[in-house]
Formats: sequence, C-alpha cells, structure tokens
Amino acid sequence: MQNEAYVVETVSVDSAMLYFKEIICEEVLDQVQHAYLALKTLEYIIDLTPSYNSILIQYDINYYNHLSIKEAVLKQVSEYREITAEKSHKLIEIPVDYSKGIDLERVAETNNISTEEVIDTHTQTTYRVYAIGFMVGFAYLAKVDDTIATPRLSTPRDKIPKGSVAIADTQTAIYPQDSAGGWNILGHTDFDDFSSFEIGDRVRFERI
Amino acid sequence: MTGFEVLAGGLLTMIQDLGRQGYTHLGITNSGAMDEYAYRWSQKLLDNHEGNALEILLSGLKLKATASTTLAVCGADLDFRINDEKQPIWQTHHIHEGDIISFHQQTKGLRAYLAVKDGFNVEKVYDSYAATLKEGIGQKLSKGDFLAFTPTQVKETRHVPEKFIPKYPKHFTLHILLSYQHRFFSDEQKEKFFNTDYELTPQISRMGYKLKGACITPSKGGIISEGITFGAVQIPQDGQPIILLKERQTIGGYPKIGSVLPSDCFKLAQLPIGSTVRFREIDIEDAEKEMKGFYDFFKS
Repeated sequence: MQNEAYVVETVSVDSAMLYFKEIICEEVLDQVQHAYLALKTLEYIIDLTPSYNSILIQYDINYYNHLSIKEAVLKQVSEYREITAEKSHKLIEIPVDYSKGIDLERVAETNNISTEEVIDTHTQTTYRVYAIGFMVGFAYLAKVDDTIATPRLSTPRDKIPKGSVAIADTQTAIYPQDSAGGWNILGHTDFDDFSSFEIGDRVRFERI
Repeated sequence: MTGFEVLAGGLLTMIQDLGRQGYTHLGITNSGAMDEYAYRWSQKLLDNHEGNALEILLSGLKLKATASTTLAVCGADLDFRINDEKQPIWQTHHIHEGDIISFHQQTKGLRAYLAVKDGFNVEKVYDSYAATLKEGIGQKLSKGDFLAFTPTQVKETRHVPEKFIPKYPKHFTLHILLSYQHRFFSDEQKEKFFNTDYELTPQISRMGYKLKGACITPSKGGIISEGITFGAVQIPQDGQPIILLKERQTIGGYPKIGSVLPSDCFKLAQLPIGSTVRFREIDIEDAEKEMKGFYDFFKS
C-alpha cells in the first residue's frame, strides 16, 4: 500500500482516525480491510471502528500518546502482510421473498422500469459490506445499480419489521431488528445471522 | 437467593459499569456509566474491581434488602433514605435484612450510583454489565424485579473526602479538542461557537445532549459516515451542537467540530435541562495530562 493513501489524525484524547481517500469504492474498502486486520494485532488498542474510508482507533493512553499512536499505526499498517485465508472475503447468500416488498412498485415507478426488472437488478449484483452501524448488525451494502437507486422516503416509517431488505440511494441493507427507518423495502428475509457480517464481506440476494 | 426486591423501579434505573469495549465494529455501542467520576468513587469506596452499580436517574427507586451488605451511593443528591431516614451520600452504609432503600427527590445532579460490595450478581453480555436498552441488552428496573448480591458483613464506613465531592454548578466550561472536521468551520463560525452560552435542551439522554444557542454552519453538511468517539460534538443541519455520549451511534455522517474532554462529559451527565455550558479549546498535551491524572487517581 502506498503511504500517501492514508493519514492518521488525532480526534480525541484517546482516539485517532486512520483516513483513506475520500471516496466510496472497492479499492478503498480493500485498503480499510487490510488496515483493520493489521490493527487488530496491535497491542493496547481498546476499540476499532471501521467504516467506508476510515478506521476509528481508541487506544490505552497509559501506553500511547497522540504522537506514538500515529507512528505505531503507520508502521503496523505498512508492514502487515495478510494471511491468504483472511483475505478471501466470505460470501453470504440471503434468500429474499420479494412478494413482501411494499415499496417495489414505487422503486419501479421512480426508475421507469418494471418490478421484475427491479428484482432482477437487485439480485444480479454482488455487494460488499462497507460499514456496520446505525444499529447492531446493520450492514451497509453497496453498490446498488444506478438503474434502481431510489432516495429514502421523505417521512420515515415508525416501524420497519426485522428482516426487511431495503435500498436507499445506491445502498442496500437488511434490518436486523424492528426499527424506525426510511429505506425502500424490496422484500423480506428469514436470514438471522447478523453478527456474521464483517467489513469487506460479499453479499448476494437470491429470490425465493 | 439474597439481594434487593424492587418495590419501585423509579424513572430510569439500570445496571452500568465502565462500558463495553471492542464491539463497535458490530455496531454495538460502548454504553456504561454516564458519570464515571461518581461511578468510580462508588467502586473505590467498596474496593470493587470490575464491579457494577445501579445508575439511578432522578427519583422513585425503592428497594428492600433480603440480606446484609455494605453499599455506597455517589453522584446526584436524590434524597437518599434508609427506612425513610435521610442519609448522607458519597459514603458507604451497612444495611440489614428488611431495610428499605429509597430515592425521593432530585436536589442536585441527575444521576446517582448505588453499588454494593462485590457488585450485583448479573450476567455479562459482550464482556460488560452495562445495559443498553435500545440494543435489548439489560433492562430498566421495575417493580417485582430481584437484584441478587452476595451478603457481606463489612462494618467499616468509608467517606469520600469533602474536597472531592462535586458541587454540580448549573453553568460550566467544557474543554474541547478541535479535531475531526473542524476545518469545515470558518474562524467566524468558531468564534461564534466559543462565545456562546449554550443551553441544554430537553433532548438529553444517554445517547447525547442536544444544545441550543448560536447556530454554527459548516462549509459542508455531510461526510462519509465514520466512527464517533465519546464526547464528539456533532453539528447537524439545524446548526445546533449535539455532544455524543455513552450510547452514541457507532458511526455517523454529520460534521464534527471536535471532542469534549471525557472528564467534562462526566460532569455534563449531571447537568439538568436549562443549564448552560460554554466551550473552551484545550490542546492535546493538556488533555492527555488531565485524563491520565483522572485515571491514575482511581487506580491507587
């Protein structure tokens, strides 16, 4: 990895942020994942929060200060050579019942295509996990094909049922629990292993 | 089983500790005691290691002991009583089978911590006792619950020295490290930010404190979602700062101007609606010195 591809900044008294290029793409995602694996083996790290193009690093201030953590992070990331097994991003297949997609029609109308085309397009892409957050086990999957991209509802719903498969702009996700939310619901899945999602994983949706 | 029978759960009472670390990559927040200063004193008074405590918000909690123990109450003054007699806080008390513990009225601060010797016997979830209601971890106490502890017979009473007991003023200064997207805020915006007395709105929770005052506008309204540290000051579209605390979302996409020193966040946790705060910049060396001092104090 080129050194210019990332920078470490102080964000709080005990946390630093490793920033990559400010863009959402698979190349940056792979860099984030590489660095995440590298930092997992660094000692005196309390918490790591990876996201699209960054990793928040909380460290023990009895061991590092704001300068020594930067050095340690840069060294660790540049010297780390991943083990092949770790690099193979696992593939998770999600069975989806698209007949439960209460927003299918709207997504089709918004994009001037048929609901069948929406389903075909949604199932044809292999997505990657770019981030996990918002709620426990909520994996942000991208990138949804532009031909079905649809903005969030202007007024979020009070309750979206657990297992709802939904899209917002060019992202897709599965609601890991009942929640309020403004994403467009395309279907429903009985998939329940939300803690298995890791940054970088590949995800495919299958019509049932 | 010995412990407390819950006669009334109060407004919001739950088990907390120093929080849950190492799971933010799954979207699981840290949680933990909102005021670590008071919490750590409750543990120090009892020589508890890796213990836990009840975090009691305002009034209404009522417990009946089914065995003897030594307990400590630190933090907000919520009119703490044993068998309906008012008792001092920031110290230990020995209680016996049949004693009634209650909290009646808030007079100073918001949150009190009630710890028992060796902690309550509850299960850890993801390595921590801390309840996070929105994640379905733990629960708020309600009438009929039972809180188990192992009986103890320690007689010695310990006090927090007077000089270490906070006064909980209704206005104070929050030290902030400029970081994150602070470059999105012009000198003019920063000047406004540092010269405003911000008021605490009713939207204050374990997740964060929403402030009201001069509107701050960043040059860009959104960023690619990234990890949020404890004390981060987020500026959403309405320009009113939110200080993100123990149950903050793990990642988010609003610009942040910096992060408040953790020890000041602990004080903030005791500040009621309508109080005011002002921000003052702190540099990283001073922030490190301050927090190392804080943790070292409780280590001994």
